[in-house]
Amino acid sequence: MSEATSEAARTPQPVLGLYDRPMWESIRERAMKLQCCTGCGGFQYPPAPVCVHCLSSQLEWRTLSGRGSIISWVVFHKCYLDAYPAPYNVIAVRLEEGPVMISNLEPPLPEGNWIGKAVRMTYVTMTDEFVLPRFAIDAGEQKQR
Amino acid sequence: MSEKEFKRPSSNLRRVAAVAGVGHTDWAGDWKRVRTGEKPTDSYGYGALAFREALADVGLTRADIDGLIVGPTTAYERMSEVLGIDPRWGDQADAVLSMAQAVTAIEAGLAETIALVYGNDQRSAEIQYGGPQAMGGDAFLSYVYHSPWGLTSQGALYALTFRAYCDARGFDPLDLGHVAVAQRAWSSINPNAVMRKPITLDDYREAKYICEPLRLYDYCMINDGGVALIVTTAERAKKLRKPPVYIEALGRRDLNRGATSLEPRLTDFYFSAQQDCARQAYDMAGFGPRDMDLFQVYDSFSVHVPLALEGYGYCEVGEAGRFMREEGIGPGGKLPTNTSGGHLSETYMQGWAHQIECVRQLRGECGERQVPDCRHAHYTSDVAGKAVSIIYSR
Repeated sequence: MSEATSEAARTPQPVLGLYDRPMWESIRERAMKLQCCTGCGGFQYPPAPVCVHCLSSQLEWRTLSGRGSIISWVVFHKCYLDAYPAPYNVIAVRLEEGPVMISNLEPPLPEGNWIGKAVRMTYVTMTDEFVLPRFAIDAGEQKQR
Repeated sequence: MSEKEFKRPSSNLRRVAAVAGVGHTDWAGDWKRVRTGEKPTDSYGYGALAFREALADVGLTRADIDGLIVGPTTAYERMSEVLGIDPRWGDQADAVLSMAQAVTAIEAGLAETIALVYGNDQRSAEIQYGGPQAMGGDAFLSYVYHSPWGLTSQGALYALTFRAYCDARGFDPLDLGHVAVAQRAWSSINPNAVMRKPITLDDYREAKYICEPLRLYDYCMINDGGVALIVTTAERAKKLRKPPVYIEALGRRDLNRGATSLEPRLTDFYFSAQQDCARQAYDMAGFGPRDMDLFQVYDSFSVHVPLALEGYGYCEVGEAGRFMREEGIGPGGKLPTNTSGGHLSETYMQGWAHQIECVRQLRGECGERQVPDCRHAHYTSDVAGKAVSIIYSR
């Protein structure tokens, strides 16, 4: 962390349960992984001790494709966190692998309704050097709703 | 995964228990005092004041109370100590589950007369429901899990839900204003309410966004106060001084799969849980939405109301906007809803004040806002995907 970074602008720290740690390590390496069940093939988010689809313990960390589509979005006009001055957006993305993930959409921001827009994961280094997975509109893929 | 058909709730619980007494603190007075920097009392104090009122309402003494359920904001043992009672059965639960547990305990013979006591000094204690000290992470991981992306406030979760709901059901976001306007119209004729100045749809539309698409008037207030109810056997309630209000039916269905990633909020809008909860409650009661005189919805955010209108069968799916606009949920409307003003305008007692509004409407004690010949009242909450209903009847 550089000296210029004030404590106030620190990225809100993630919940770090036992099974969250490998995920955040993969994010720091800019190749986000989630657990995939070798039995039923289901992905899960957040990480968990067993497969939430079939209760199997045979879970394998697999790198995400990074593709997804927006299923909802909001714009904060009130500032709750120093690292997030208003206005800023939050999006819900349906990952190609199945789970829903909450994140932010990086500019350029589209006009009109964002729901159904194809997005691709990108890794952003925050001012405190925390690496955060975010999304950008996937210009190469005009996903039909 | 297909849902198997579960056994329906026991009709043994129907009308075995009744609310015999209700009480609450001076929400409007304490609101003013807290805003001038006073600290009228703490959570236990608010609970105790409400308990005293409820005992006076029913004409009982502490010696008659053999069960106690306290709300989530106070410790069971300490509240019991402050109230000066030694129950033979007790618990801690939220508004709707405390009522369900009281009925179950009474039917099982674990207690005969149970006090349900809630006190909360959330305003004067400056409790935050969004931001770095966001509440609830120990109970609901979704409230804190997404904080690295700036999502902590519970209002934002409903804003995300509402955006997806509008898109899926064709709901016009401006129709949401009918909730805030109708509830303020109710609270304007409720002397207990904190917010009483009427608002118009134009006021709603001109209000600032907090988390777009939700505006200021879509959010509940945060204030101090307490609520208490005395629940006892139907037999005993008949002999007490106020007309009994029976717990006619209960229903519950929780959607927990995908809760942290918000899946049930964003793709189902809790609809499937509400439908199952409704079936249970209506089957147990033997009647349904057409027979309800009063609808009470847990409204931390206005969004709960259109979701509940559709989920509990008060209108067709996709019709909530038209229903609120044309049939009406305010005074003189087809379905009187949150007749006290609810969390948006009366008081934010986390569902507890909604119970005493049901009781008072069924007793006919509501003065200017009284629903004529009120016989059946339906309360519902869907906090974090836990859809629960209580039907009260006189």
